[in-house]
Amino acid sequence: MIHQYRLGGKNIVLDTCSGSVHLVDDVAYDVISLYESHSKEDIVREVAARYPARPEASPKEVAACVDEVTELKKAGRLFAPDTFAPMAGELKARTGGVVKALCLHVAHTCNLNCAYCFASQGRYHGERAVMSLETGKQALDFLVAHSGTRRNLEVDFFGGEPLMNFPMIRDLVAYARSLEKDTGKHFRFTLTTNGLNIDDEVIDFCNRECHNVVLSLDGRKEIHDALRVDYQGRGSWDRIVPKFQKLVAARGGKGYYMRGTFTHANPDFLKDIQVMLDLGFTELSMEPVVCAPGDPAALTEEDKPIVFRQYEELAQLMIARRREGRPFTFYHYMIDLTGGPCIYKRISGCGSGTEYMAVTPWGDLYPCHQFVGEEGFRLGDIRHGVDNLAVQQEFASCNVYAREECRSCWARLYCSGGCAANAWHSTGSVKGVYAYGCDLFRKRMECAIMVEAVRQTEGNA
Amino acid sequence: MSHIQTLPTRDLCESAKKGGCGECQTSCQSACKTSCGIANQQCENQKESK
Repeated sequence: MIHQYRLGGKNIVLDTCSGSVHLVDDVAYDVISLYESHSKEDIVREVAARYPARPEASPKEVAACVDEVTELKKAGRLFAPDTFAPMAGELKARTGGVVKALCLHVAHTCNLNCAYCFASQGRYHGERAVMSLETGKQALDFLVAHSGTRRNLEVDFFGGEPLMNFPMIRDLVAYARSLEKDTGKHFRFTLTTNGLNIDDEVIDFCNRECHNVVLSLDGRKEIHDALRVDYQGRGSWDRIVPKFQKLVAARGGKGYYMRGTFTHANPDFLKDIQVMLDLGFTELSMEPVVCAPGDPAALTEEDKPIVFRQYEELAQLMIARRREGRPFTFYHYMIDLTGGPCIYKRISGCGSGTEYMAVTPWGDLYPCHQFVGEEGFRLGDIRHGVDNLAVQQEFASCNVYAREECRSCWARLYCSGGCAANAWHSTGSVKGVYAYGCDLFRKRMECAIMVEAVRQTEGNA
Repeated sequence: MSHIQTLPTRDLCESAKKGGCGECQTSCQSACKTSCGIANQQCENQKESK
C-alpha cells in the first residue's frame, strides 16, 4: 500500500509496509498513482499529455520514470506487500507476562478542578486518596519481579495531582535507586503536574531524578483559565507559568514537555503553541481533548478543518523557526525515519494491560490510566498479581491486525492500532476505532513526515 | 534525470529479522497520555548504537 500527498510544496509518497518515504516530482507522482492499474504505454501517454510543455514529462522521460518505479518496486521500496500479519502478537507472546512500565496514581485528588478532566478532578469516579509509601514500594517490587530481562523500567507519577503526595514520591524514588543497585534495573521516572505545588525542592528533585517532566499548560491565559481553575473558580495560569519557567530553566537540557489540551473552545490551538513559545518553552505537546461526544468541550466535525489547518501551519512554523536557528519540538512531529521502532513494535499495539499498567492508590491494577475506575477493567492488584485474565487477554490480542479498519489504513505502522481507551470510549470496544482521532493522527503524520523531509533535504539537522 | 528521491529510512522488513527486543518505551508513556503513536519513539537498540 502507498499513500501520496502534497504538502508544504513537496510531493510525498509513503510506502506503508517498507516504511519508505519518497520525494517525487509531478511526473513521478502521477506515474505512481497509475502504476498498479495501467500499462506502461498507457501511463506514458497519459502523463506526457498532462504536462505538454515540460521537458521532464516527455514520453521518453515518463517511460524512464516508470522504469524507476519498477526498480523501486523490485527493491521492496514501493508497493511492498504486507507480510507482517502472521507476526502480529508474536512480540507480546514472546514477552508474555513481562511488565516494563507502571503509571502510579500517587494521588487521586487534585488542587485544580478542570472541567474537562478525564479523571473527574483526579478522583476517577471514586474516593479521594493518596498512595502510601508502602503501596508504592510494593508496586515497584511488583514491577521488578515481573520485568523479566528488561533493564529499562518506566514509572510515571500521575494523578490527580501527584505533587499532592510529593514526600511519598521523593521517598519512593530513593527506594527505587536502592533497587537498581540490587537488581541491575534502571528506572526512568516521569512526573506529570499542573504546577501549583512546584517549589525549589520539587525543581531540584525533578532535575535530579526525573527522566521527563510533563507540565500542563493550555497556552493562552484566557483559554487556560477558562477550564483549569481551582475550587474557588480562579484560573491557575498566573500562578503556574513562573514556576514552569523556573523549572525548565533549571532543567539543563533534560527532557520535559509543555503539554496542553485543546478543546472545542480552541481548535485554533496554534495560538496557544505560540504563547508557549513566547514564554520560552520549546518542547511542546498539544493534545485533542478526550471526553464524551456530548460534552461541551468535545471537538466537532466543524472543528476538524480548523484543527487540520493548525497542524499544517504548525509544520510551517517549525520549518521557519529551524531555518532561523530557533527550533522547537512538537511531540507528535518527532519522527526518526532511520532510528524508529522495529516492525514488531509497530504492529503489536500500545502495550496497555500487558507490559504497561496503571496502579491505583490502593494498589489495584488497570490496563492503563484511562481505564482506572472502570471496575470491569480491573486486572488484579500488585500484591496478588493479575487475576482477571479474560480482560488481560483482550488487551494482549489488540494489535494492528485486530481492527478491520486498520488493515486499509496507510498510517497503521505509525500508530500501531491506536489507543484502546479512545476506542473503548467512542465505540464500546477496545478493538474499535476512534475515527475522529484517526483523522487527526493521519494529518499529524503527513505533517511530521513533510517537516522531516524538508529537514533532510535542507541538510540543517 | 531522476524523478524520485528516496529518503533514508529504517527497512521495516529487515527489522523483522532482528527486532523485537521489547526494550523500547511503552507507547503513550511519558508524554501525551491520551493517544497512541509509535512513530516518534526511538528504538533502544539503535539509540545505543548511535
